[in-house]
Amino acid sequence: MDKVDQFESLFRSATKPAFEREEVPIASVLVAADGSDEEAEAYGDRVRSFLDTLGANVHWRDVGSDGFPTINALHEILEAEQPDLICTHRHLASASRRWQSTLGEYLDVLTQTTDTPVLVLPHPGAEDVPDFAQRDTSMVMALTNHLPGDGRLVNTALRLTRPQGTLALCHIEDDLVFERYMEVISRIPDVDTDLARETIHAQLEKEPRDWITSVKQALDTAGVHVRVQELVVFGHHLKTCLHHVKEQEAGLVVIHTKDEDQSAMHGLAYPLAIDLRDTPLLMA
Amino acid sequence: MPIDPSLLLLASEPHDVSLGVTLTFTGILVALIVSLALEEKIHAKKSVIVMTFALGSLFLGTALGLLPFHRITWGGHEVDLPVFIPSVDWNVIAIILGASLFVDVVSKSGLFTWVAIKLTKVSRGDPVKLLWFYGLMTVVFSAVLNNVTAMIIVGSLTAVSLSKLGREDKLLGFLLIEGLLTNVGGLLTLISSVPNIIVGTAAGISFVDFFLAASPFVAVGTVLTILMGARLFDIKRLASDAERRRAKELVSSFDENDGIESRAFFWFGATMTGLFVIVIASASHLPVIKDLGMGYVALLFAGIMILRFKSVADRFYQAIDWDLLAFFAALFVTINVMERALVLDLIGEGLHAIIGLGDTSGTAALLVSSAVFSSVTDNIPLAAMLAKILGAMDPAPSSSLWWAVIFGANLGGNLTPIGSASTLVAVTIMHKHGLKMSFGAFVKYALPYAAAQIALATGYVLLFL
Repeated sequence: MDKVDQFESLFRSATKPAFEREEVPIASVLVAADGSDEEAEAYGDRVRSFLDTLGANVHWRDVGSDGFPTINALHEILEAEQPDLICTHRHLASASRRWQSTLGEYLDVLTQTTDTPVLVLPHPGAEDVPDFAQRDTSMVMALTNHLPGDGRLVNTALRLTRPQGTLALCHIEDDLVFERYMEVISRIPDVDTDLARETIHAQLEKEPRDWITSVKQALDTAGVHVRVQELVVFGHHLKTCLHHVKEQEAGLVVIHTKDEDQSAMHGLAYPLAIDLRDTPLLMA
Repeated sequence: MPIDPSLLLLASEPHDVSLGVTLTFTGILVALIVSLALEEKIHAKKSVIVMTFALGSLFLGTALGLLPFHRITWGGHEVDLPVFIPSVDWNVIAIILGASLFVDVVSKSGLFTWVAIKLTKVSRGDPVKLLWFYGLMTVVFSAVLNNVTAMIIVGSLTAVSLSKLGREDKLLGFLLIEGLLTNVGGLLTLISSVPNIIVGTAAGISFVDFFLAASPFVAVGTVLTILMGARLFDIKRLASDAERRRAKELVSSFDENDGIESRAFFWFGATMTGLFVIVIASASHLPVIKDLGMGYVALLFAGIMILRFKSVADRFYQAIDWDLLAFFAALFVTINVMERALVLDLIGEGLHAIIGLGDTSGTAALLVSSAVFSSVTDNIPLAAMLAKILGAMDPAPSSSLWWAVIFGANLGGNLTPIGSASTLVAVTIMHKHGLKMSFGAFVKYALPYAAAQIALATGYVLLFL
């Protein structure tokens, strides 16, 4: 019954998830920064400048770390405020700033315990990185290793992209994983290795491309004036991500943090957050 | 160059055979039929089963002096062919080989999947509309392609689309109805099924005459089967606007253009399919082509299509159903030996008794007995044997006896899951998707449809053919 499988594959391939444009409401934003509430407000002004695309009808609340001596205290504030977006910086209320291999204990916990998207910005005291407040969200990159069907990621990224700006949809296919499977296939006599390499490679590229095409069509239909850039590449999941973020000069990177299968952060999110020190990162 | 008539007469030269020898070979034939019926149980491919019997029959037939061993002349030249070569109907083999290769290459153009997905989208995901569209598509594909290919295309689309729509509970009903409709659609043209090719060719029925005679029954049989299916499997229209909106959204995610790699090749495939049907339909009237036959037409179109993939043509050769072709070749050889052993004469006497019941009762009895026989074993040996036996009786091409065999052999396949290759494909797809369908359960589900179709066919043949 090879032919049944052959035709089922054809029909499954023809079933494409279509992007549906949905508004991502951001009516209230909480800015959490080191120091007093005044210092937090100054930091909040920089955040507001960076996120001017959110418009004027947003309720902002700036809180300094002096107001939340523990993580629980920060959680209580979040419970009370119920923000649609949390903006903070690396090593929030943390003494571990010199350890660049962590985000700081507050942020580590926060990104896992709240469903609210967290915008992670460079530390206010960081001197070796460009000032994010001087930039804007004209170039936003939604980055993932599984783009097809991920409407939430794209809609969130779209919400923060300035009109007439560029939304880069970047799908990175891990070439190490691909090569591992190809190596296994090369040892199976019943499978044509070259054919498998060619067709699997093509299919892995086709699916995100089809999705991006549906995003473009949906935005055209809705009259959204944002240029959608397609980036579908094979490569090392981290190095290639970092390379494209730098190359595209992304003002904001949007990634998934939550993983339904585990309580830890999504496999790509944490290493990316660690290494993307000078680029604002929305962990959705 | 026409074949020397002596080549064709090899198998039918008069000779004496003892009753013991005839009964021995009758036993071998019964064993062959039982083995084919138990194909799944003995875990052997059809070709291997028939090849085993063919080789055994050839050896025994030669040892007993039944087979003619002398040189034949072809175009004025003496040719030394192995004794089993002339007994194969190479025109049938060429039609099956050429048509399956042609269909396989055309399917790469995305034509069939385009049609299938387009119809799915037009249905807007409504189960009743889907049943009608898939049912009609099954009939048309069975007629233009072949039963098995039609079942594979429509059955696999059904599984994917019903899963997409969250209607897996209706999958069994859809697949069963489609399986049953393959054998109804298989009656539409001379090349729609192998029994049609074998019996129609032996009877000398032209493509157009065949179509004109069979199409009214196919139309009524299709409507009857779908209406019964919708009722018995409780397939209903979507009730609310919300359901309709959701179903429309789900089917709209199908992209009918996904399988089309080249727009030019797509249109070429569509044009060639249309031309193929036209040329096959008019083959008996076209100069040169009428001499070369339908087998040549099928091979010609396959040859033209495969030029598109000339560098990887071997992939298509690998995909050819060699089991089916070897089965046919071996079957023709076996039947030829049976004919030499006068087994067919013996069966013919039984057939005479059936036909002797009278024009009405005889024809009806022939149709029903052909259907019953086809339901328990492959309908191709039946068609091949009855074509030979009826051919020896020399009825006119318009005789209802031919149609009784054609209708019976095709529709009998709907009584059991082993009665036809396409219903077997339907059951295999059911099993693939975790649906249990035993032999008994299939008979229980299919019997009302098959009985209605056979009753309708009997009335149709008696009244109109």
